[in-house]
Amino acid sequence: MSFSARFSQGAKAAIPIWIAFVPSSLAWGIAAQSHGLTLQEVFLMSAWVYSGPAQFAVLVPLAEGKSAATVLIAGLLMNLRFLPMSTALAPFFRGVKRLPLLIASHVVSASSFIVPYLQFQKEREASGGASVADGYGNLGFFVGIGATAFTVWVVGTTAGFTVALGFPPGFEEALKFILPGYFAGLLVAEMKGKTMPLICFVSIVTAIPGALLNPGWGWLATAALVAIIGWGLEKWLSRA
Amino acid sequence: MAFSRLELIFILGASALLLRALPQLFLVGKSFPETWDRLLRYLSYALLCGLISITLFMSGARFESDRALYRGVALAVTIAIAYKTKSAVTGMLVGMVLVLLLSWLG
Repeated sequence: MSFSARFSQGAKAAIPIWIAFVPSSLAWGIAAQSHGLTLQEVFLMSAWVYSGPAQFAVLVPLAEGKSAATVLIAGLLMNLRFLPMSTALAPFFRGVKRLPLLIASHVVSASSFIVPYLQFQKEREASGGASVADGYGNLGFFVGIGATAFTVWVVGTTAGFTVALGFPPGFEEALKFILPGYFAGLLVAEMKGKTMPLICFVSIVTAIPGALLNPGWGWLATAALVAIIGWGLEKWLSRA
Repeated sequence: MAFSRLELIFILGASALLLRALPQLFLVGKSFPETWDRLLRYLSYALLCGLISITLFMSGARFESDRALYRGVALAVTIAIAYKTKSAVTGMLVGMVLVLLLSWLG
Protein backbone atom coordinates (compact mmCIF):
# COMPACT_ATOMS: atom_id res chain seq x y z
CA MET A 1 0.00 0.00 0.00
CA SER A 2 1.28 3.52 -0.84
CA PHE A 3 2.62 5.99 1.71
CA SER A 4 -0.34 8.36 1.21
CA ALA A 5 -2.93 5.59 1.59
CA ARG A 6 -1.27 4.44 4.81
CA PHE A 7 -1.04 8.08 5.95
CA SER A 8 -4.84 8.40 5.55
CA GLN A 9 -5.33 5.17 7.49
CA GLY A 10 -3.15 6.53 10.26
CA ALA A 11 -4.97 9.87 10.32
CA LYS A 12 -8.30 8.05 10.72
CA ALA A 13 -6.87 5.91 13.53
CA ALA A 14 -5.67 9.10 15.26
CA ILE A 15 -9.15 10.61 15.74
CA PRO A 16 -9.45 9.36 19.37
CA ILE A 17 -5.99 10.85 20.04
CA TRP A 18 -7.11 14.22 18.65
CA ILE A 19 -10.11 14.13 20.97
CA ALA A 20 -7.85 13.31 23.94
CA PHE A 21 -5.36 16.03 22.94
CA VAL A 22 -7.95 18.83 22.85
CA PRO A 23 -8.50 19.14 26.64
CA SER A 24 -4.86 18.47 27.57
CA SER A 25 -3.48 20.96 25.04
CA LEU A 26 -6.01 23.60 26.09
CA ALA A 27 -5.16 22.92 29.75
CA TRP A 28 -1.45 23.33 29.10
CA GLY A 29 -1.96 26.53 27.09
CA ILE A 30 -4.13 28.02 29.86
CA ALA A 31 -1.63 26.98 32.57
CA ALA A 32 1.32 28.36 30.59
CA GLN A 33 -0.41 31.71 30.18
CA SER A 34 -1.29 31.88 33.88
CA HIS A 35 2.36 31.11 34.76
CA GLY A 36 3.50 34.04 32.63
CA LEU A 37 4.88 32.38 29.49
CA THR A 38 4.56 34.32 26.23
CA LEU A 39 2.66 33.08 23.17
CA GLN A 40 5.99 32.68 21.36
CA GLU A 41 7.32 30.46 24.18
CA VAL A 42 4.10 28.43 24.29
CA PHE A 43 4.22 27.84 20.54
CA LEU A 44 7.92 26.94 20.54
CA MET A 45 7.53 24.59 23.49
CA SER A 46 4.56 22.77 21.95
CA ALA A 47 6.02 22.53 18.46
CA TRP A 48 9.65 21.83 19.35
CA VAL A 49 9.53 19.95 22.67
CA TYR A 50 6.10 18.37 21.91
CA SER A 51 5.72 16.39 25.12
CA GLY A 52 2.79 17.06 27.47
CA PRO A 53 4.40 15.58 30.61
CA ALA A 54 7.77 17.29 29.97
CA GLN A 55 6.04 20.60 29.21
CA PHE A 56 4.18 20.25 32.49
CA ALA A 57 7.40 19.28 34.32
CA VAL A 58 9.33 22.35 33.20
CA LEU A 59 6.49 24.89 33.36
CA VAL A 60 6.85 25.84 37.03
CA PRO A 61 10.69 25.80 37.19
CA LEU A 62 10.83 27.76 33.92
CA ALA A 63 8.25 30.31 35.03
CA GLU A 64 9.87 30.75 38.45
CA GLY A 65 13.33 31.26 36.94
CA LYS A 66 14.86 28.14 38.52
CA SER A 67 18.34 27.10 37.37
CA ALA A 68 18.79 25.88 33.80
CA ALA A 69 20.00 22.52 35.11
CA THR A 70 16.75 21.99 37.08
CA VAL A 71 14.63 22.76 34.02
CA LEU A 72 16.69 20.59 31.67
CA ILE A 73 16.99 17.60 34.01
CA ALA A 74 13.25 17.67 34.82
CA GLY A 75 12.47 17.67 31.08
CA LEU A 76 15.10 15.06 30.27
CA LEU A 77 13.94 12.63 32.97
CA MET A 78 10.39 12.94 31.67
CA ASN A 79 11.46 12.44 28.06
CA LEU A 80 13.56 9.35 28.77
CA ARG A 81 10.35 7.41 28.11
CA PHE A 82 10.84 8.11 24.40
CA LEU A 83 13.84 5.75 24.30
CA PRO A 84 11.90 2.48 24.77
CA MET A 85 8.98 3.77 22.66
CA SER A 86 11.21 4.69 19.75
CA THR A 87 13.23 1.48 20.10
CA ALA A 88 10.04 -0.60 19.94
CA LEU A 89 8.89 1.17 16.76
CA ALA A 90 12.26 1.06 14.97
CA PRO A 91 12.03 -2.52 13.53
CA PHE A 92 8.79 -1.63 11.72
CA PHE A 93 10.52 1.12 9.70
CA ARG A 94 13.20 -1.15 8.26
CA GLY A 95 14.54 0.09 4.91
CA VAL A 96 13.52 3.73 5.41
CA LYS A 97 16.28 6.28 4.83
CA ARG A 98 17.69 8.18 7.80
CA LEU A 99 16.41 11.67 6.92
CA PRO A 100 12.70 10.73 6.79
CA LEU A 101 13.23 8.70 9.98
CA LEU A 102 14.82 11.67 11.72
CA ILE A 103 11.97 13.99 10.71
CA ALA A 104 9.24 11.48 11.60
CA SER A 105 10.78 10.70 14.99
CA HIS A 106 9.88 14.21 16.15
CA VAL A 107 6.24 13.15 16.48
CA VAL A 108 6.90 10.14 18.72
CA SER A 109 4.74 10.57 21.82
CA ALA A 110 3.01 8.21 24.24
CA SER A 111 -0.23 8.39 22.23
CA SER A 112 1.33 8.29 18.78
CA PHE A 113 3.42 5.30 19.88
CA ILE A 114 0.81 2.94 21.25
CA VAL A 115 -1.72 3.05 18.36
CA PRO A 116 0.74 2.30 15.50
CA TYR A 117 2.72 -0.15 17.64
CA LEU A 118 -0.38 -2.27 18.31
CA GLN A 119 -1.47 -1.94 14.69
CA PHE A 120 1.94 -3.06 13.35
CA GLN A 121 2.00 -6.02 15.70
CA LYS A 122 -1.49 -7.03 14.57
CA GLU A 123 -0.53 -6.68 10.90
CA ARG A 124 2.69 -8.64 11.44
CA GLU A 125 0.80 -11.50 13.05
CA ALA A 126 -1.83 -11.47 10.28
CA SER A 127 0.76 -11.45 7.49
CA GLY A 128 3.21 -13.87 9.07
CA GLY A 129 5.93 -11.22 9.43
CA ALA A 130 5.60 -9.66 5.96
CA SER A 131 4.32 -6.24 7.09
CA VAL A 132 7.56 -5.53 8.93
CA ALA A 133 9.27 -5.33 5.55
CA ASP A 134 6.95 -2.50 4.42
CA GLY A 135 8.94 0.19 6.20
CA TYR A 136 7.68 3.15 4.16
CA GLY A 137 4.06 2.02 4.44
CA ASN A 138 4.42 1.67 8.21
CA LEU A 139 6.09 5.08 8.37
CA GLY A 140 3.12 6.55 6.45
CA PHE A 141 0.70 5.09 9.00
CA PHE A 142 2.82 6.36 11.90
CA VAL A 143 3.17 9.87 10.43
CA GLY A 144 -0.58 9.93 9.72
CA ILE A 145 -1.14 9.54 13.45
CA GLY A 146 1.84 11.53 14.71
CA ALA A 147 1.67 14.57 12.41
CA THR A 148 -2.08 15.10 12.81
CA ALA A 149 -1.94 14.66 16.60
CA PHE A 150 1.02 17.06 16.66
CA THR A 151 -1.03 19.68 14.77
CA VAL A 152 -3.93 19.31 17.20
CA TRP A 153 -1.52 19.70 20.14
CA VAL A 154 0.14 22.87 18.81
CA VAL A 155 -3.15 24.51 17.78
CA GLY A 156 -4.76 23.47 21.10
CA THR A 157 -2.02 24.94 23.30
CA THR A 158 -2.01 28.27 21.46
CA ALA A 159 -5.82 28.32 21.62
CA GLY A 160 -5.62 27.59 25.36
CA PHE A 161 -3.21 30.49 25.78
CA THR A 162 -5.66 32.81 24.00
CA VAL A 163 -8.63 31.53 26.02
CA ALA A 164 -6.74 32.16 29.30
CA LEU A 165 -6.30 35.83 28.35
CA GLY A 166 -10.09 36.20 28.54
CA PHE A 167 -10.43 34.85 32.12
CA PRO A 168 -11.60 37.55 34.54
CA PRO A 169 -9.66 38.19 37.79
CA GLY A 170 -10.63 35.89 40.70
CA PHE A 171 -10.27 32.71 38.65
CA GLU A 172 -6.54 32.24 39.37
CA GLU A 173 -7.20 29.31 41.70
CA ALA A 174 -9.14 27.45 39.00
CA LEU A 175 -6.43 28.19 36.40
CA LYS A 176 -3.73 26.95 38.76
CA PHE A 177 -5.68 23.73 39.33
CA ILE A 178 -6.25 22.83 35.66
CA LEU A 179 -2.94 21.16 34.84
CA PRO A 180 -2.23 19.27 38.09
CA GLY A 181 -5.90 18.25 38.22
CA TYR A 182 -5.83 16.96 34.66
CA PHE A 183 -2.61 15.00 35.13
CA ALA A 184 -3.85 13.55 38.43
CA GLY A 185 -6.99 12.39 36.60
CA LEU A 186 -4.94 10.92 33.76
CA LEU A 187 -2.67 9.01 36.13
CA VAL A 188 -5.58 7.57 38.11
CA ALA A 189 -7.49 6.58 34.98
CA GLU A 190 -4.42 4.66 33.70
CA MET A 191 -3.29 3.16 36.98
CA LYS A 192 -2.63 -0.58 37.11
CA GLY A 193 -1.21 -2.97 39.71
CA LYS A 194 -0.11 -2.10 43.23
CA THR A 195 3.35 -0.61 42.74
CA MET A 196 2.24 2.32 40.59
CA PRO A 197 -0.41 3.74 43.01
CA LEU A 198 2.03 3.33 45.90
CA ILE A 199 4.81 5.15 44.04
CA CYS A 200 2.38 7.94 43.11
CA PHE A 201 1.07 8.36 46.64
CA VAL A 202 4.54 8.42 48.22
CA SER A 203 5.79 10.85 45.55
CA ILE A 204 2.92 13.26 46.21
CA VAL A 205 3.57 13.18 49.96
CA THR A 206 7.39 13.39 49.88
CA ALA A 207 7.60 16.12 47.22
CA ILE A 208 6.70 18.81 49.78
CA PRO A 209 9.44 18.08 52.36
CA GLY A 210 11.80 17.55 49.42
CA ALA A 211 10.94 20.97 47.99
CA LEU A 212 11.22 22.58 51.44
CA LEU A 213 14.69 21.09 51.92
CA ASN A 214 15.83 22.23 48.51
CA PRO A 215 13.43 24.32 46.38
CA GLY A 216 15.35 23.62 43.16
CA TRP A 217 16.14 19.92 43.34
CA GLY A 218 14.26 18.49 46.32
CA TRP A 219 11.06 17.34 44.59
CA LEU A 220 13.03 15.97 41.62
CA ALA A 221 15.41 14.00 43.82
CA THR A 222 12.66 12.59 46.06
CA ALA A 223 10.53 11.57 43.05
CA ALA A 224 13.49 9.83 41.40
CA LEU A 225 14.38 8.12 44.67
CA VAL A 226 10.79 6.94 45.25
CA ALA A 227 10.61 5.51 41.71
CA ILE A 228 13.95 3.70 42.05
CA ILE A 229 13.07 2.28 45.49
CA GLY A 230 9.62 1.17 44.26
CA TRP A 231 11.13 -0.47 41.20
CA GLY A 232 13.86 -2.15 43.26
CA LEU A 233 11.38 -3.43 45.83
CA GLU A 234 9.11 -4.79 43.11
CA LYS A 235 12.04 -6.64 41.54
CA TRP A 236 13.16 -7.99 44.90
CA LEU A 237 9.65 -9.15 45.87
CA SER A 238 9.09 -10.83 42.50
CA ARG A 239 12.28 -12.87 43.03
CA ALA A 240 11.46 -13.80 46.63
CA MET B 1 25.93 30.09 32.51
CA ALA B 2 22.56 31.82 32.20
CA PHE B 3 20.12 30.88 29.46
CA SER B 4 17.03 32.75 28.35
CA ARG B 5 13.71 30.88 28.48
CA LEU B 6 13.67 30.52 24.70
CA GLU B 7 17.19 29.05 24.74
CA LEU B 8 16.18 26.57 27.44
CA ILE B 9 13.12 25.53 25.42
CA PHE B 10 15.34 25.06 22.38
CA ILE B 11 17.83 22.85 24.30
CA LEU B 12 14.95 20.89 25.79
CA GLY B 13 13.46 20.27 22.34
CA ALA B 14 16.84 19.22 20.94
CA SER B 15 17.32 16.70 23.76
CA ALA B 16 13.79 15.36 23.21
CA LEU B 17 14.48 14.92 19.49
CA LEU B 18 17.73 13.13 20.30
CA LEU B 19 15.93 10.66 22.59
CA ARG B 20 13.25 10.09 19.95
CA ALA B 21 15.60 9.80 16.98
CA LEU B 22 18.57 7.81 18.33
CA PRO B 23 16.75 4.45 18.49
CA GLN B 24 15.20 5.04 15.05
CA LEU B 25 18.59 5.75 13.51
CA PHE B 26 20.88 3.38 15.36
CA LEU B 27 18.90 0.72 17.24
CA VAL B 28 16.91 -0.95 14.46
CA GLY B 29 16.44 -4.59 15.40
CA LYS B 30 17.46 -4.08 19.05
CA SER B 31 15.06 -4.44 21.97
CA PHE B 32 14.79 -2.37 25.14
CA PRO B 33 14.87 -4.50 28.32
CA GLU B 34 11.40 -4.72 29.92
CA THR B 35 12.76 -4.02 33.40
CA TRP B 36 14.36 -0.72 32.31
CA ASP B 37 11.16 0.22 30.50
CA ARG B 38 9.34 -0.31 33.79
CA LEU B 39 11.83 1.85 35.70
CA LEU B 40 11.43 4.70 33.20
CA ARG B 41 7.65 4.44 33.48
CA TYR B 42 7.83 4.59 37.29
CA LEU B 43 10.22 7.50 37.05
CA SER B 44 7.87 9.56 34.85
CA TYR B 45 4.85 8.72 37.06
CA ALA B 46 6.74 9.66 40.25
CA LEU B 47 7.93 12.91 38.69
CA LEU B 48 4.41 13.79 37.56
CA CYS B 49 3.06 13.14 41.06
CA GLY B 50 5.84 15.20 42.62
CA LEU B 51 4.97 17.99 40.19
CA ILE B 52 1.27 17.80 40.99
CA SER B 53 2.18 18.20 44.63
CA ILE B 54 4.55 21.17 44.28
CA THR B 55 2.33 22.92 41.71
CA LEU B 56 -0.63 22.74 44.07
CA PHE B 57 0.97 23.24 47.46
CA MET B 58 4.15 25.27 46.95
CA SER B 59 4.76 28.83 45.89
CA GLY B 60 8.47 29.10 45.17
CA ALA B 61 10.21 27.88 48.33
CA ARG B 62 7.11 28.42 50.55
CA PHE B 63 4.46 25.86 51.49
CA GLU B 64 1.06 27.50 50.97
CA SER B 65 -0.42 26.22 54.23
CA ASP B 66 -3.44 28.58 54.09
CA ARG B 67 -4.64 27.07 50.79
CA ALA B 68 -3.32 23.52 51.19
CA LEU B 69 -6.47 22.12 52.81
CA TYR B 70 -9.02 23.06 50.16
CA ARG B 71 -6.61 22.33 47.30
CA GLY B 72 -5.96 18.91 48.86
CA VAL B 73 -9.69 18.28 49.13
CA ALA B 74 -10.18 19.30 45.48
CA LEU B 75 -7.32 17.00 44.43
CA ALA B 76 -8.81 14.07 46.35
CA VAL B 77 -12.23 14.69 44.75
CA THR B 78 -10.60 14.95 41.29
CA ILE B 79 -8.83 11.62 41.83
CA ALA B 80 -12.00 9.91 43.11
CA ILE B 81 -14.12 11.15 40.19
CA ALA B 82 -11.47 10.35 37.56
CA TYR B 83 -11.16 6.86 39.03
CA LYS B 84 -14.91 6.30 39.12
CA THR B 85 -15.68 7.73 35.67
CA LYS B 86 -12.34 6.78 34.04
CA SER B 87 -12.34 10.32 32.66
CA ALA B 88 -9.51 12.73 33.50
CA VAL B 89 -11.45 15.66 32.01
CA THR B 90 -14.51 15.07 34.20
CA GLY B 91 -12.32 14.80 37.30
CA MET B 92 -10.43 17.96 36.41
CA LEU B 93 -13.58 19.97 35.72
CA VAL B 94 -15.22 18.98 39.00
CA GLY B 95 -11.98 19.66 40.91
CA MET B 96 -11.60 23.03 39.20
CA VAL B 97 -15.11 24.16 40.12
CA LEU B 98 -14.63 22.87 43.68
CA VAL B 99 -11.29 24.62 44.21
CA LEU B 100 -12.81 27.85 42.88
CA LEU B 101 -15.83 27.65 45.19
CA LEU B 102 -13.72 26.72 48.22
CA SER B 103 -11.29 29.58 47.53
CA TRP B 104 -14.20 32.06 47.31
CA LEU B 105 -15.75 30.68 50.52
CA GLY B 106 -12.42 30.69 52.38
